[in-house]
Amino acid sequence: MKIKRHGPRSTTNLKQRFFIWSAFILLGGGVLLSALSFWNTRRLLMAEAMTKSEVILRGAEAIRSYVKEELRPKMFERHGNDTFIIEAMSTTYISTTIMDRFAESMPDYIYRRASLNPHNPRNLADSFEEGMFDWFEIDSTRLFWQGIVKKNGASYFVSMVPDYFGSSCIRCHGKAEDAPHELTDRYGMDGGFRFKAGDLAGINSVAIPVSASFREAWQGSIYLFAITLGGSALLLWLLNVLFQRLVIERLGVMLTLISEKKKGTSKHNTSGDEIDFLQASLGSLRRYVSSARKGSALQPNFIGNYTVTEPMAAGSMSWVYKGFESTTKEKVAIKIGFAEVLRNPLYRACFEAEFHLFESFSHPCVPKVTQRVEDTLIIDDIPGGNLSFLLHSKRLDDTLLFRVFSQLCDLVATLHSAGLVHHDLRPHVLVLDDQEKIHLIDMGLTSSDQQEDPIIAAGLGPQGDMLYMAPEVIQGKRGNPGSDIYGLGFLLYLALSGSLPFSEERCSSGKWLRKKEQIIPLSNHVDNLSNSMEQIVLKAMAFDSKKRYKWVEDFWEDLKKALN
Amino acid sequence: MRLMVFSDVHGNLEALQCVLRDAVKRDVHRSLFLGDLVGYGPFPNECVERVRGLKKCRCIAGNHDVAALWETSPYGMSRGAKKAILWTMEQLNESNKNYLAELPDRIDLAEMTFVHANPYNPRGWRYVTDRKYALRSFAATDCKYLFIGHSHRPLLIKKKHFLSVDIQAITGPTQVKISGNKRLIINCGSVGQPRDNDTRASYLIFDTRKHTIEFHRIPYDYSITVNAMKKNALPASLYKRLLKGT
Repeated sequence: MKIKRHGPRSTTNLKQRFFIWSAFILLGGGVLLSALSFWNTRRLLMAEAMTKSEVILRGAEAIRSYVKEELRPKMFERHGNDTFIIEAMSTTYISTTIMDRFAESMPDYIYRRASLNPHNPRNLADSFEEGMFDWFEIDSTRLFWQGIVKKNGASYFVSMVPDYFGSSCIRCHGKAEDAPHELTDRYGMDGGFRFKAGDLAGINSVAIPVSASFREAWQGSIYLFAITLGGSALLLWLLNVLFQRLVIERLGVMLTLISEKKKGTSKHNTSGDEIDFLQASLGSLRRYVSSARKGSALQPNFIGNYTVTEPMAAGSMSWVYKGFESTTKEKVAIKIGFAEVLRNPLYRACFEAEFHLFESFSHPCVPKVTQRVEDTLIIDDIPGGNLSFLLHSKRLDDTLLFRVFSQLCDLVATLHSAGLVHHDLRPHVLVLDDQEKIHLIDMGLTSSDQQEDPIIAAGLGPQGDMLYMAPEVIQGKRGNPGSDIYGLGFLLYLALSGSLPFSEERCSSGKWLRKKEQIIPLSNHVDNLSNSMEQIVLKAMAFDSKKRYKWVEDFWEDLKKALN
Repeated sequence: MRLMVFSDVHGNLEALQCVLRDAVKRDVHRSLFLGDLVGYGPFPNECVERVRGLKKCRCIAGNHDVAALWETSPYGMSRGAKKAILWTMEQLNESNKNYLAELPDRIDLAEMTFVHANPYNPRGWRYVTDRKYALRSFAATDCKYLFIGHSHRPLLIKKKHFLSVDIQAITGPTQVKISGNKRLIINCGSVGQPRDNDTRASYLIFDTRKHTIEFHRIPYDYSITVNAMKKNALPASLYKRLLKGT
């Protein structure tokens, strides 16, 4: 079965994908749970073994200490210094004998007194113990060691302590000729001699077998995994039944409805799952709404005394419709906020700011407000069409270009003089009427240097169409008059070439910035274009706002000269 | 871009009209008024309305504008100024009061900053005429050109280095070429009550393309203003200043 993570190219349907992912998650959860269980049981076993072995080792050490400090001096006192009774005076003999008897009743606990040079050959260190001699001898501050040791195929938990010779021990472990004859008679004169006080005498250790306990812990984890697996299978079945009932069947109904609405088209594309098909349908719906916004399918309506007819344009926050006063039939334009803007308090603040600007800002290119009816502005009639024809036309003739840009520059200079930056100068919000007069129909993204910018305050990020946006606005910087000069440069580029300065393809903000760093030279689109005109566009559209014209008036003066 | 900067009209409508007529002839693109539309003079409402009606003109508040709204007390002013402010308060209509109330204390445009008196304490109304307050003003902004009024004397202060400035009083019509990267404080003088021993109204035009500052002095018929002041019983000391330019 081929599984792809997302996108319309997925080859499994939604239910299969849900089943596979659920199974992966439940199986993974079971493995994780079992592993955690085994790790925890092992940790507890180790802790228990650690405590037990340390108790036994400390017991044996107490016996050795008692013999060395109490029993042996007493025996010397009673029987004289020449007497040495091994069974009552040798610490090693007594401790190993007691622990041997302890092992008779507790065979799982192994006590060892290991030495590299013992009197009794039985106490000779094995290879592991030799290694531990080295470990203790390297650093005399090391006084204890615990760990797991494998011996004869079984695992043991081992605790070890080093034992150093005291001066009282040297009589039996110094020179062989000075040792008591009872000792040399029993063990001979080969081993256990030639030590000095302070030498490492031996290692006392206790080993507890743990293999069986670990095996039980492992088996417990396997049982737990098996139980989890069974439970997961049951849960998976239940989830699939629920998913089928709550999601798939309902989606199926929706898809059937959509398919029925899409007359003449196939039921749905089998290459994607149900969500892909729904996504495609929503995309289609979005395009439908978008086209509706542009006015292809809106119905007449009535607002107060006004009749709304066909839409003219969509701004950043609102639609502009044509309309007329119902009794006098006087033509008007009607500005109505987008429903989603009116519902969202953050956008609503921008929308209210825009309405306030229309009511307070005065310029021949800004339509006068006749009346405000709730969330609707009734403004002067705006005959004509927007400048989006520039996108498909050839170079604008110089007379019209002069008329359009003289008005645009005056408008932008007036905005800037009032401390306002428009941020959204694009062909779609500028209407050209029959008298070649420009009308600005949208100021939804305008900021003022004397008021808090509602878009920055709401943290809304760059708003508007990135195609027309100045680079610094894409980066979230607002309030720079240079951004409008970029907009004017863009409009001039369109007016001179009828083409866009870079590809229109939608992309991320980062890619837009990279595109805007390098615009397509005007000379690629237009022949016989003066160098001065190309320089004006390049300067107005400079990526770095500091390299642009600082003042609209300077842009206009250069443009005037170039047109002359 | 040719930017007209003018300040301290102080209700002297005749001087204001002459200055505006002159500026129109000089192809000004925008204008910036640095405060004190009212106070001293006899035509407060007329001056406010004239400036309000200018296209592409922004205004900031001066100490007399603020005092005329009781936002600061006029009782700290000189006797003549206080009497004129109390008279102005009675004359101003509500619309003009609202307009004055909305004026900002400071405007920043590109590499320029505009204030009435100083940028470090705009409502402290301290004159910037010497090294100490010039350095303090430079430190309070990062603009290249700081435009001020308030002292009624045209002035050009150039920052030489960290602790030194070059102060140049501007007398009569003067054109100054700006070169280099030195920061400047530019005082445009007063339209309605010059105090540099020159009775002519003062204003300037900053040309961003030619990199020049043109200080202009415009003669006007101050007898019209003086007669109106007499008619409205404004203090004699105030109109005598217009006759002497002090």
